[in-house]
Amino acid sequence: MPSTSAAADHAALEQAAWWYATLLDAGDDADQQARWQQWLQEPGHARAWAQVEAVSRQFEPLRGEHQRKAADAGLKAARRVSSSRRRVLSGLASLATLGVIGWQYPRVRHEWLARTADYRTGTGEIHATGLADGSRIWLAPGSALDVDYSAALRRLRLHEGEIHVQTAADAQRDFVIDTAVARLRALGTRFNVRLHERGLQLAVLEGAVEVSAAGSVSVVEAGQRLRVDAAGIGPTQLADPDADAWIRGILMADQMSLAELVAELSRYRPGHLGVAPEIADLPVAGVFPLRDPDAALAMLERSLPVRVRRPLPWWTTLEALH
Amino acid sequence: MAAIEFTAHRQIETLYAAHHGWLSGWLRRRLGNTADAADLAQDAFVRLLTRPVPLASAPQARQYLRTMANGMCIDLWRRREVEQAWLDALAAHPEAVEPSAEDRAIVIETLCRVSAMLERLPEKVASAFVLSQLHGLRYREIAERLQVSERMVKKYMARAMLHCVLLEAGSGS
Repeated sequence: MPSTSAAADHAALEQAAWWYATLLDAGDDADQQARWQQWLQEPGHARAWAQVEAVSRQFEPLRGEHQRKAADAGLKAARRVSSSRRRVLSGLASLATLGVIGWQYPRVRHEWLARTADYRTGTGEIHATGLADGSRIWLAPGSALDVDYSAALRRLRLHEGEIHVQTAADAQRDFVIDTAVARLRALGTRFNVRLHERGLQLAVLEGAVEVSAAGSVSVVEAGQRLRVDAAGIGPTQLADPDADAWIRGILMADQMSLAELVAELSRYRPGHLGVAPEIADLPVAGVFPLRDPDAALAMLERSLPVRVRRPLPWWTTLEALH
Repeated sequence: MAAIEFTAHRQIETLYAAHHGWLSGWLRRRLGNTADAADLAQDAFVRLLTRPVPLASAPQARQYLRTMANGMCIDLWRRREVEQAWLDALAAHPEAVEPSAEDRAIVIETLCRVSAMLERLPEKVASAFVLSQLHGLRYREIAERLQVSERMVKKYMARAMLHCVLLEAGSGS
């Protein structure tokens, strides 16, 4: 009868797994070996044991000396994916009300989408483009954007990086930008969106933008900025009037630390760009050319007690001038 | 309505004609990418061809296709995430030899298989199994790392192995 044999199979597999766990860490216990050999002779046990061996053999390609750590990282990544998938599935009911189910797929989803987006920019690249309705967008370096216009909606999806948007009027269709943490709806406007590790920063230069995130809605007027992260929408603050300077290839530094400036410049420059900790907090002010970051570094050398060191072609650090 | 057995090419063709466009669109929206959507839609029908299932009605067919395609999307994301994590970790260890394309494919395939097997196990059980299988650690060392007794490690090992063999037996391979 099939059910009996299935039960027998299951029992045999259970015992095989137990023997495996026992023998794997046992010393040279002759007694135990003998008992295992005896068990193996019984009907169905050899087959169950072969299945246990087959599972263990599956790890073989991962066991190389230099393989293990990388394999470990791969397995951990897989576990992150599946556990977040489980979270997503169990949270579906509450997310459905937001209408953004797809966007709640964690990092994996938008990281991967970012690699295949309609528009993407690399290091140092600023890309300006016009959209079908006459709206204009600028992509900062390291950005990925999908454009999805339909008869009912003008929809952009920002996967990573930063964009500046100038919308054209269209009474029939809303203009929205979806990101991992929020939906932004333009209310006749010019604004800047920058994604961070954990959320986004929005600065509105003209008009207004409606922000929807985590079930709440907030309207940001011209001259204001705010942050959104997993916890929700942050308080409204005064926007930097030069939030769009980058689209003209300019960085306006005002009350910026050297470390912050260096972080900005490194988006525009291939290779590592670091700053020594003892000078990281130096205040910097000035106008720097983003399209020529090495000239910006030279300017820093002239105005601050720092020097640029380039020990390797792809390795540049700012150090204190002694 | 009688159940339709999709055992012949002609029937698959009918199904393909009725649902392929819809499935591609669904995948495109889900993946945000036309090429991947086309690949997965193709794969979905190939699977139906190799493992026919009775589908009684059009809504049922779509339901089935959607469930299948959903699983395929998740597999795809997992695969890419795993591959990226693996490559990043390799890059962080310059002493490691650059793997050949074949080795790479084998390792990624293995990582996906193994991680799918361990997916449903509790964290510590899966960790114990990986520490033993991958790193060859003794139970004593695993026990220290996981802050449990050696006896518990042995239980974890038996449980993980049973889970894996049952999965493998169930998948029919």
